[in-house]
Amino acid sequence: MSKSRFLMLLFSLTFILGSISVVSAQTATDLSLWVFVDRHGLFMQHQAERWNEINPDRPINLTYEQIEYTQMHDNLLASLLVGTGAPDLADVEIKKFATFTKGVLHFIPLDDAIAPYRSDIIESRLAPYSANGHNYGIDYHLGSFVMYYNTAILEAAGVDVDSIHTWDDYIAAGQQVTQDTDGDGTPDVYMTSLETTDIFSAYALMLMMGGGTYNAEGQIILDSPENVAALQFMQDLVYEYGIARAASGGGHHAPDHYVDLTEGRIASLWMPQWYMTRFPDNMSSELAAVEVVRPMPIFEEGGYTTTMGGGTGTVITDQIDPSKIALAQEFLAFAKLTYEANVSLWTDLGFDPMRVDVYEDPALLIAMDDFSGEVPFTYIQAGLANVAPEYTGPFYPEIATIFQTTALYDLIENQKAPEEVLAAALAELQAMGAEVGG
Amino acid sequence: MLRSIVAVLNHKKVVPLVFLIPFLTIFVLFKVYPVILAVIMSFQNFQGITSQEWVGLTNYENVFELVRFNQALANTTIYTIGTLLILIPLPLILAVLLDSGRVVQSTVFRTLIFLPALTSLVVAGTVFRLILAEDGFLNLFLSSTFGIQPQRWLEISNLSLPSLILVATWRWTGINILYFNSGLVNIPRELYEAAVIDGANAFQMFWRITLPLLRPTTLFVIVLSIIGGFQVFVEPFILYTGGGGPGDGGLTMALLIYRTAFTSFNFGTAAAMGVILAGIILVFSLIQFRFFGTFGREE
Repeated sequence: MSKSRFLMLLFSLTFILGSISVVSAQTATDLSLWVFVDRHGLFMQHQAERWNEINPDRPINLTYEQIEYTQMHDNLLASLLVGTGAPDLADVEIKKFATFTKGVLHFIPLDDAIAPYRSDIIESRLAPYSANGHNYGIDYHLGSFVMYYNTAILEAAGVDVDSIHTWDDYIAAGQQVTQDTDGDGTPDVYMTSLETTDIFSAYALMLMMGGGTYNAEGQIILDSPENVAALQFMQDLVYEYGIARAASGGGHHAPDHYVDLTEGRIASLWMPQWYMTRFPDNMSSELAAVEVVRPMPIFEEGGYTTTMGGGTGTVITDQIDPSKIALAQEFLAFAKLTYEANVSLWTDLGFDPMRVDVYEDPALLIAMDDFSGEVPFTYIQAGLANVAPEYTGPFYPEIATIFQTTALYDLIENQKAPEEVLAAALAELQAMGAEVGG
Repeated sequence: MLRSIVAVLNHKKVVPLVFLIPFLTIFVLFKVYPVILAVIMSFQNFQGITSQEWVGLTNYENVFELVRFNQALANTTIYTIGTLLILIPLPLILAVLLDSGRVVQSTVFRTLIFLPALTSLVVAGTVFRLILAEDGFLNLFLSSTFGIQPQRWLEISNLSLPSLILVATWRWTGINILYFNSGLVNIPRELYEAAVIDGANAFQMFWRITLPLLRPTTLFVIVLSIIGGFQVFVEPFILYTGGGGPGDGGLTMALLIYRTAFTSFNFGTAAAMGVILAGIILVFSLIQFRFFGTFGREE
C-alpha cells in the first residue's frame, strides 16, 4: 500500500468514526455499568432497549463491563475513593454495600425514582441498600428462601413432602429420612446440611425467628434471644435430632456439596430462590425428576413464612455527569421495578421478582422440567405470606465475615454455646469500632 | 549545545542511568511511592482522599487488640515454616535427580513439574477443592496406601494449613527446581570426576560438593520462600473462595490486611498491619543474610 493511499484510508476511517460518535452523541445518552455477573449486564441492556422503544425522544446507550466479583468491588471502592474512574451505574453485592457507606457515601439517592413503584413491591427488599434514611440501590430479585426437597429420598423413607408445614414436621420427617444405610455407624443420608463457612443457613433461621444482624433502628442485635434460639436450633438439628450435618466443603456452593446433592446424600436444604439455577448448572440432570421447591417450614402460626437472602443492588455513582442523573434514576427504576421488567427478571435471569403483582403472570406460572415438571412459582408465592425483613448497617460485612469464618464453625464443629459464639462475635465487632448495645 | 548534551548522555557513567530511567520511573512511581504512602497511612485515620486525620500510634494499638491478627500471624508463621521444610529439600533432591542424568525423559518431567506455575489459579482452586473433598483423591490415596481414615480437609480448621501447604507444594516445587537447576549447572563437572576417582559415593558427592557449592542458590530460594510464605494470599484466597477457611484456620496476614482494607474499609489499620508484616520479613531476611555470611566478605 502506498503512503498516500494509506493516509487516505486513515483519513476516511477517522471521518467515519468521527461522524458515528457525533450522531450517537446527538441522540442517545451514554450510560456505563459495571457488573460481576454477565447475565446482569445483558438484562440491563435488554431493559435499555425496552426503554428506547417507549422513550424514543430520550434514548439510552447502555454499555456494560463485566469484572470478576472481588475485583469489581475493589475497583469501584478505589475509584470512588480517589474521585475518578467509576462508572455511571454499578452493581453492588449485598455484603459489600455497607463497606461503601463508611466515610463519605458516593452514591446518588433513588428515593424519588422509586416512589411511584413503592406500593407495588415488597418494600423491605430496599432496606439492604439504604443508608441515612435514603434508598441507594435496587436489587435484581427478592431472594426469598424456599426449601428444596429430593422427593425420591423422602418417598423411600415414607415421607410425603406436602405433609411438612412446620419445623416440627420437618424434624419428624428428618428423623425418618436420616439413615445409616451401610451400617458403619454414621448416617449416609441426612435430612439437611448446614453451612459453616457461609451465612445462608443461619441468617434464614435468625431472620425468620425475628432476629438478624441489625434492627430497623440500625442497632446491632446479634445477641438477641431470637438469634440465640436460631443458633441453638441449628445446633440441635445436628446434635439433638441428628438430622443435619455440616455441608461438605463448608457451604452450599462448594463443589463437593453439589456432589452430595447429586449422589442423594442430602434430602433437603433451604436456600434463596436463586439457588434454583444451581441445580441445572451444577448438578446431575437426574435430580430434575425428583427435586421440588416448597415453602419454608414455619415456627409458629402467624409467624414469618420466609425471608430474603443474598442480593445485588444497582446503584448510581456520584461520578456520573450531573446532567444524566435524572435520566439514570428514572431508567434504573424502570429497569428493575416496572411490571414488564419484573417478568423479565424471571424469564431472563430466573430470579423471583420483588413486585407482588407479577406472581400471577402466565410467564411465571410455568411448569419446569428441572423441578419434577411442577410449577415452582405457586410454591414460592405461597411462601411470601409474611416475609421477614432484613436490615443492614455499617458492620454488616464484618458480621458476615465473622459468621463465615469462626462463628458458625464454632457453633457446629466445636459445639460452642450460641450465647458464647454471639458474645465473641460482638466483642470482635467492638474491637473493630462498632457500637454494640448498652 | 546539542552536541554537548549528546556527549554527556554518551558518557560512560551516564549511559547506564539513561537505560535505567524507564525502570526507575516505574519502580519509584508504583513501588516506592505507595510504600511511603502506606507508612504515612498507617498513622492516619484514612477514609477517602478527602477525610484523613493523624492518629499517631492508634492504628498500631488497634492491630494488637484484634484477635484475628494474632491468629493470622501464627498461621502465617506456621505456613512459612511448613513450606520451608518441604519446598527447600524436595525441589533440591528432585533437581539433583533430574540433573544426574539417571532420569529418562528428564525434560518431560521438568515440564510437568513446572506446569503448575503456569496454571490458572482459579482452575487450580476448584480442582484442589475436589482433591481435598471428603471422598476426594487425597483421602482415597491416604486410605488405600497408608490406611489413614478419611479426613475433612476443607471443613476442619486444623487441617487448613496442611491443605494450604499442599497447594503451595504443588505450585512452587517446579519453580524452585528451576532455581536449583541453574545453580547446579554452574558447579564444575571436574569436581565430581575428581571425587569419583577418589572413591566418593553419590551421597558424599552430594553432601561435600553439591550442597556447599549450591549455598548461594539455597540462600536465594530460602529468602524467596520466607518472603513468599509471609506474603501468602492467593492460595487461601482461591481454596476458600475469598475467605480464611473454616474457623479462619487458613487466615493469613495478607488476607487479613486485604479484609481490613476492603471489607472494613479501614485503610489505616490495614496499612499498620502491612508495615508490621514488612518489618517481620525484613528482620528474617537480615538474620538470614547475616547467618549465611552474605554481607560483605563472601563472593
